[in-house]
This record gives sequence, C-alpha cells and structure tokens, in this order.
Amino acid sequence: MITIVTGLPRSGTSLMMQMLEAAGIPILTDSVRTADESNPKGYYEYEKVKGLQKDQAWIKEADNKAVKVIVQLLPFLPARPDYRFILMNRPIAEVIQSQNKMLERLGRSGASISLEGIFAQQLSRAKQWLSGQSEVFEIDFHALLKEPQEQASKIASFLELPESTMAMAQVIDPTLWRERTGS
Amino acid sequence: MNKPKSKKVLLVGWDAADWKIINPLMDAGHMPALESLVNGGAIGNLATLDPPMSPMLWTSIATGMHADKHGIVNFTEPAPNSGGIRPVMGTSRKTKAIWNILQQNGKRCHVVGWWPSHPAEPINGIMVSNFYQRAHAPITMPWPLPLGTVHPPEKMAIFDLLRIHPAELTEAHILPFVPNAAEVDQEKDKHLESLAKIIADCSTVHAAATWILENESWDFMAVYYDAIDHFGHGYMNYHPPRMKGIHKKPFHLYNNVVTAGYRFHDMMLGRLLQLAGEDTTVILVSDHGFHSDHLRPKGIPKEPAGPAHQHRPYGIFAMKGPGVVKDERIYGACLLDITPTILSLYGLPVGGDMDGKPLVQAFEQPPEIETIPSWEAVEGDCGRYPENVKSDPYAEQEAMAQLVALGYVDAPDEKDQKSLERTMNESQFFLSRVYMNKSNYAEALPILEKLHQENPDQVRYAFQLARCYQNLGNVYKAKEAVKSILEHENNEYPQLTLLRGSLALADNLYHQALEYFEQAEKSSPKLPSLHQQLGLTYLKMNKIDEAERAYLKALEIDPESTIAHNGISHVYYRQKRFEDAAMSALNAVSLTYHYPMAHYNLARALIKLKDFERAAQALEVVLSIQPGQKRVHRMLVRLYRILNDRDKMIVHQKWLKEFRKDKENG
Repeated sequence: MITIVTGLPRSGTSLMMQMLEAAGIPILTDSVRTADESNPKGYYEYEKVKGLQKDQAWIKEADNKAVKVIVQLLPFLPARPDYRFILMNRPIAEVIQSQNKMLERLGRSGASISLEGIFAQQLSRAKQWLSGQSEVFEIDFHALLKEPQEQASKIASFLELPESTMAMAQVIDPTLWRERTGS
Repeated sequence: MNKPKSKKVLLVGWDAADWKIINPLMDAGHMPALESLVNGGAIGNLATLDPPMSPMLWTSIATGMHADKHGIVNFTEPAPNSGGIRPVMGTSRKTKAIWNILQQNGKRCHVVGWWPSHPAEPINGIMVSNFYQRAHAPITMPWPLPLGTVHPPEKMAIFDLLRIHPAELTEAHILPFVPNAAEVDQEKDKHLESLAKIIADCSTVHAAATWILENESWDFMAVYYDAIDHFGHGYMNYHPPRMKGIHKKPFHLYNNVVTAGYRFHDMMLGRLLQLAGEDTTVILVSDHGFHSDHLRPKGIPKEPAGPAHQHRPYGIFAMKGPGVVKDERIYGACLLDITPTILSLYGLPVGGDMDGKPLVQAFEQPPEIETIPSWEAVEGDCGRYPENVKSDPYAEQEAMAQLVALGYVDAPDEKDQKSLERTMNESQFFLSRVYMNKSNYAEALPILEKLHQENPDQVRYAFQLARCYQNLGNVYKAKEAVKSILEHENNEYPQLTLLRGSLALADNLYHQALEYFEQAEKSSPKLPSLHQQLGLTYLKMNKIDEAERAYLKALEIDPESTIAHNGISHVYYRQKRFEDAAMSALNAVSLTYHYPMAHYNLARALIKLKDFERAAQALEVVLSIQPGQKRVHRMLVRLYRILNDRDKMIVHQKWLKEFRKDKENG
C-alpha cells in the first residue's frame, strides 16, 4: 500500500504528512528541502517525485509508506492497484497567496498572469483522475485547523488506524494558519 | 432567422492551392471536377492573413476570427506536462468552430483531418483528427491509432483499416508524379520517399472522408488535405520554368510533381462531388497560395517557419450549389469570410465578434444578414471538448514554470527548455503579427519590445519592431531598431535597405529614400514592394509621371499587388483620371477587402465622378474596418447631406460631436 498525499502546492500537504508520521506511517522523504519560514516543521518531500514525468522507477521505494505528490503530477504515477490518496483542498486564492510569499522568500519570480483559473482547471482534472482510483479521501484544510479532533478521526478511519486519532490531532498547530486571504 | 439556402454544405480545404497553377491545368482539361465547380458556381481569390501559418489560418477559416481571438498562434505549443513542446492541439482553440455552431442548431457534422483537431472533439457526427494519417512506424511494425484520433471511439476500428501506409505504394502510384522515377538514386535522393508519404497521407484522409459520405447521414462536412502545400514546399523549386540555381537533373526528375499533385486532387474532388450530390453546396478553399513563377523566393530564410516565405497572399475560393450564382467571379473575399458565409447558407446569424462577413455576392438572392453578439454566449450542446480537456498551454506553461521556481517540479532539460523558449517566443511573435495585420499596432508594440529586449540577436523581431514603430509614426524609435539590426547583421540585405528607405521617406528625406531604394533595386530588382515604395516616394516629391512608372513596374512584377493597385489609384487621382483611379482602387479592394486606404481612395474618386452613393458606401467600409476616422465621418456628413439622407447624416454628426467632447475632456 502506498499512501499518496496530494493537493496543489501550499494546500496543506506537508501538514498532512506530519499527521501521517504521527500515526506511525513511514514517510518517504530525503529531507533535501529543509524546514524554513514557509514550512517551519519541514516539507516532507522526496526529491525524485519532482521528475515523475520522466522517471517512475522510484515508486517501489514508497511501498508501505506515504509520499507527497502534487496534483499536477498524479497522472504520471505508474498504474498500481494499491494506492490510497489523501487530497488536500484549500481555497485557490490562499494557495496562490502562499506560493507568492514563498517565491518572495526564495527570491524568485513567479507567473506573469493570474493562475487562479489554470489551478482550478488542474485541480478539477486531478479530481477527475482520482475518481478512477479506488481509495480517495478528501479533506478541507480549514476544517482540519478548525476541528482537528473530528478531522483526524475521519482520516484515522480512512487509514484504518483508529488508535492514531489523538496523535494526529496533536500535530495541528493553528498558528501555522499563516497565509490566509484577508488575514 | 433567414430561410436556409442549403440543406447540406461540404467544405473542402486544399492547403496552398493556387489559381496560378489551376487555371492552365483547367484550360488544358486536366482538372474537370474543379472546372465543373468553377463553371457552375462562384469563384475568386481568397486573401490570406499574416502571418500565413497554416494551423492559424485553418482555424480562422473554421471560426471566422483572427488568431488573437481563436487562440491558435503557432505550429507548436508548450507541453507543460512533459516540459517540452508538442504540435498545436485542438484543445487550445478558445472559440467555437463552424461545426460546433451548426451542431447547436441541429445539424449533423463530420470533420476529417482539420488542422489542428487533435484530440477529436466529441461532436454529434464523426471527427477524425489531424493525427490520423501519419505513419509513425515502418509497415512491419504495429501502427496503432493514437488515443483520441477518432470520435466516437467505437468507430476507431473502421478508420484504422482505412489508412494507407507509404510502403504500400507501388511504382504505379509514383510514376504519374515522377515519370522518370527509375533514374532516381534512392540511396542518396530521398525525394521519392517523401513523395510516397505525402501521397499516402492524403489518400488516407480521402479514404476517411469518402467512407463517411458513403455510410453516414450528414448535414455538414469539412475535410482538409495538406498535400498540395507539401508538394509545394518539396517540389515547387523544380516546377517549370527551371529556376536559376536548380540543376538540370532534379528538374528533369521532379518537374511534374506539382502538376500531378493538383490532378490527383481533382480526381479526389470528383469523387467527393459525386458522393455529395447536386443538392449540396460545395465550398473549396485554400488558406494561401504558393509562388510558382518568377516570384518564387531564391532562398528560404533560416528562421522558424521560414518556408512560409514561399506562400502567396491569395488562396482560392470556389462555391457551387443551390442558390449560388453561376459562372461568376466574386471579389474581396478573405478566409475570415468562410464561416460567416456558411452560417448564411443555413440561414443562421453571424457572430458580431467574427471578423469576417458573408460573401453575399456569391448568392443569387443576397441573404438578409442577421447578427448576434456572439455564438460563444449561446448555450447548448455543441460538441466542444469538456472544460477539463480544454487547454490554454501558455497559461499551463506559466503555472508549470512557477512550480519549477517553487521547487515542486524538475525544470525541463536543456534541450526541452530551448525548444520551449523558441516556441514561446515565436508564438508571441506570430501574435504580434496578427495585431499588425489588424492594424492594431498598439497591441503589437509591447510584445515586440519585450521580444527584442530579450532576444536582441533575432533581427526578425527588430525588423518587425521597426515596422511597428513606423506605423505608429515613431520614426526615431524605428531607426533605433534598424541600428540594432545592423549591429547583428554582417551584411545589409535588400529588405533592410528597403526599410531604411521607407524610414527616410517617413522623415521626408526623399533623396535619401531614393538612394536606399536604388541600392535595393541593384541587388534585387524584383523585390516585392520596392517599386511601390519608389512610387510612394515620387508621389510625395510630386513627380507624378515617375510615380506612375514605378507603380506600373510593380504591377508588371506582381499583377495582384494590392498596394500597387492602390498606389496607382492615387497617381490617377492626382492626374485627374478619376475613372482610372476608381477602377484601380476597386482592383485593390477586390483583392484585399480589409484595406481601408483603398476604400478611401475609391470613395474620393467616386466623389469626383459624382457617384455619391457608392462613395458613401466605400467610406462606411473604411469605418467598419478602422473606426474613429474623423475625416471620414466629416466626408460622410457632407455626402449624406447631398444624398438627402438626414438619418445617416445625423449618425455621423453625433460621432463628430463625441470626438469633440472627448477632446474637450482631455
């Protein structure tokens, strides 16, 4: 079983990875990108995922682990019957705001156009792709921060790890809710 | 809604087909099918658009819109998922095509091979995409149809079997094209191999089209053949008369290919006409012509889409069917007019956002033209791609670039990155040319400035930027752009000298302009637009007789030069030969309808001839193409006063009032 945590970049996927780690699920990560202001508790990324379009051989390393794959790269996953997906949903305007702040911190420039429409389309395509998968759980980022216990319980149920609810809920730190529209 | 003129319409596209080749073949009896269309219907030139790039043009034919609206701006586009580039896809089209509109109005439509049309759209009939005919593998290997090539998918198996592989062709198929094929050393000379590919591809498209006509009910069908363009690019240099620099041997071998290509197309057209039946309105078009005479370029510039320099600005138009005039010539047609014309054939309104107009001259009873603001606003099942499938590859590329910058996706490898940058630049360049073609220089300028700033070594960008500044009246900046070209070019070339001359002319430095033009004439006496520039210079110097000689020389080189016809109209006007002035201006607009200056010159000649009504019509056309011309509004006020048309006079007086108000408000 491979647990794929997915969503648009900056939709709360790193938070979800922390929760899965707390639940005792091994994480496939290489810590190439270390914690910073954008993610003080770390990114939980695996560098090889970035090249998924061209190289999928590494997927075996994710057996019985959780790995983060952004929605744009989902269609490149090699076909396997043993995936389960956790999709993070966050308002796109917030996602873009968060990306822009991260770009600022990195000293890099982003798109010259509004990406709201294209991200919405990419997310919609990803959901359509996920509808063909057997195990998918969607979770709202705001709901997670607002009702950690309740949401953690639902995730634990999806993962068939009911005993991990408390450990997952304790990971959530509302002060991390930094980049929010209007706040 | 008007009563439909047609029950069925068959739209046939022959890429690059040209009357200059067709006419002598018809005269010799070698194109009987097309001759039946010509004798029984309406024909004319079909003005192309700039840039003359086929996927852009065929989409303009299918939508009635310029490329800035329909969104197809290049042969290739970013492939954000792979990081490189891909052929331009049908999903990148932003607006409805004629088949979408007709489907919304209850017509059953089929489309074969349109460029671009992959993946096939889920229309109510059959769509076979432009990825259908290509043989990707040797005949000994599997040749599966790419996913999405045929809609509906359950028809894939049928169309799979209809394809023809180049390796299936025998000498019986090749000899009509290359009678001396036995003399070809195929180890060294790959012409026969590429010829076989062209013939096989074309035959495959035809097989699909005829199968549909034989087996499916239909109201509208569009089929596109690209072979004549391929014959042109591959073999026009060997077409008679033998060009300087072409060796005798290849000329001897391949001088018949282009002719044979047209005759082959006529055979296929014959079968289409037979299957379509007499009650069908058949429209045959090409997106541009192809130089086949002394105007064939001597070399192809080493730039993306360089072969487009072989294209001629006029393609073909032929239409025959119920309610269509017979054996008549129509004038001023542009490829933007095809979709509006088809809509009128079905009694449907034209979209106000379409850039073309119905060719009413082709109808026995001109239809009443109805318009709606836009077919995009009309809801209903039209067979377009689902929202998730539609794509803006440029926006996707921006998104992907941001993800790379954020570190979530690997950057493309160097080779892919270079291809991507080239494609993005060229798409922007072509878009700037679309704006310039629409005389929308203000939109073109920021694009060209950015391209030039980021790619100072690309002289094409600087050249176009100079032209843009010139058209905006900024001669100083135009000269700066020329300076930058000279910094990167080792040798001055004739087109550049010509540009320098036209900039001197814009600065009223007539003698300097003449020096440049004479210099350009020495190296390239038949340079397109050289004699037109000379004519314009002499006009400004009040040397009317010299101007007349220059424009007549331009027309001798190219009898279909719109600018030369317009220029000589100006000369005749100055010589008070008003009938000749009107006739020449009419020649100009007959070739290129979207030419406001020519309509203006026509109007002022007609005023002198006291044909005030037609003069007013010509001036209204000026405003429809280039609104906001105060001088034209003033002339119309005077004309409508003479014609006692108070209502129209008031309309234009109101416009002038608005202009004055705007001026007062700053």
